[in-house]
Amino acid sequence: MQQLGERRVGRHTTVSVCRDSTMARVLLSTVRSYTPKLSALQLPRSACAWKNTAKHFSTTHRQLSNYKYTEKHEWVAVDGNIGTIGITNYAQEALGDIVYAQLPEVDTQYEQMEECGALESVKAASELYCPVSGKVTEINAAVEDQPSLINKSCYEEGWLFKLELTVPSEIDELMDEAAYEKFLKESEE
Amino acid sequence: MGSKVIYLHKLGRMPYLAAWELQKRIAMQVMNNIRCGREPGHRLLLVEHDPVYTTGLRKDDYTPEVEAELRQTGADFYRTNRGGLITFHGPGQLTAYPILHLKSFSPGIKWYVCALERTVIRTLRVLGITAQTSPHTGVWVGDNKICALGLQGRHVTTHGLGLNCNTDLQWFDHIVPCGIPDKGVTSVTRELGREVTIQEVEPHFLEAFSEIFNCKVVMSQPDFDEAKGIPSHHV
Repeated sequence: MQQLGERRVGRHTTVSVCRDSTMARVLLSTVRSYTPKLSALQLPRSACAWKNTAKHFSTTHRQLSNYKYTEKHEWVAVDGNIGTIGITNYAQEALGDIVYAQLPEVDTQYEQMEECGALESVKAASELYCPVSGKVTEINAAVEDQPSLINKSCYEEGWLFKLELTVPSEIDELMDEAAYEKFLKESEE
Repeated sequence: MGSKVIYLHKLGRMPYLAAWELQKRIAMQVMNNIRCGREPGHRLLLVEHDPVYTTGLRKDDYTPEVEAELRQTGADFYRTNRGGLITFHGPGQLTAYPILHLKSFSPGIKWYVCALERTVIRTLRVLGITAQTSPHTGVWVGDNKICALGLQGRHVTTHGLGLNCNTDLQWFDHIVPCGIPDKGVTSVTRELGREVTIQEVEPHFLEAFSEIFNCKVVMSQPDFDEAKGIPSHHV
């Protein structure tokens, strides 16, 4: 296993970045005990995932505990009655370089799991599903101008759209971070 | 051969819109099969279209004026939900629409695109043409594209590819194919210096597809269920 360097991520914490996803996981779990805020981070799967991992560590002030996930590899972060929606790291890796985002229109209403948009990469258009029922209140113009933001920062700058929840109880049915990680592991088998 | 079966439909000359509607119906059927735990019933449609220009998701690049100009050539014009930019389909082009439940093969779109490109490259190699991929999706012979790809579907795929066999390449003069300037187009006929029809290419394409996708390609029954518009070999 090749150690590629160390990265200070907090006052008391450094992370050794290694080109080995297994060892990265071990180190991350050690780090987690000192940094509870980061415990909800999604671990990437590929051998080159250390890059994404380092990026996640460098972001701060993200309330990860309110992120929920769907089997379609989308996430919802709820704040009051507004949900912000994006795709997960697994999804952005699977798509490759995203060149176009077709986002839903503001004021449109969707039911849970209704198709609401599409992302294009490698000449393939992949549909987006609305993870919870609601009315679209805002779309991320930055992502329309620069679709690569979705690849670079799928949980933050690469958010896709926000909606006003019409059936808030649907959130409770979605997976939390641990359940989503388990779902990913089981999908691999 | 793997245990996966793909049902083949050779549809011959078919209007673009009707073929697209059929793909959507079949895709929904495959989705339902998966949901109900039945055999997916993957299909491969082989068609030949009358001259038609189509655009993908990024349709704003092609204004109504552009559309009007292209219609003046006598071709049809459709805006679709696939990836990729503008392309041409027409007589002499082997147009293939695989409708596959991706997860049954490999869940990734990137794998699927690569598998289609490899299928075409292998087909061309048998015919004596050396083709390559490039950073631009599709299959190339040097700087000339011989096969265009434009796909849709995260779970069940629609749309597909167009391999120029003896297509009249002048149709491509009216567009910047796939939005890539400074590159040209070519066909099997042009590369080999002799007339090569879809019929000659087809068996090689099917064999390559079967090998790359590790599946058995099975001929479906030719009769249609007119009311449903779904080929009768659905499961």
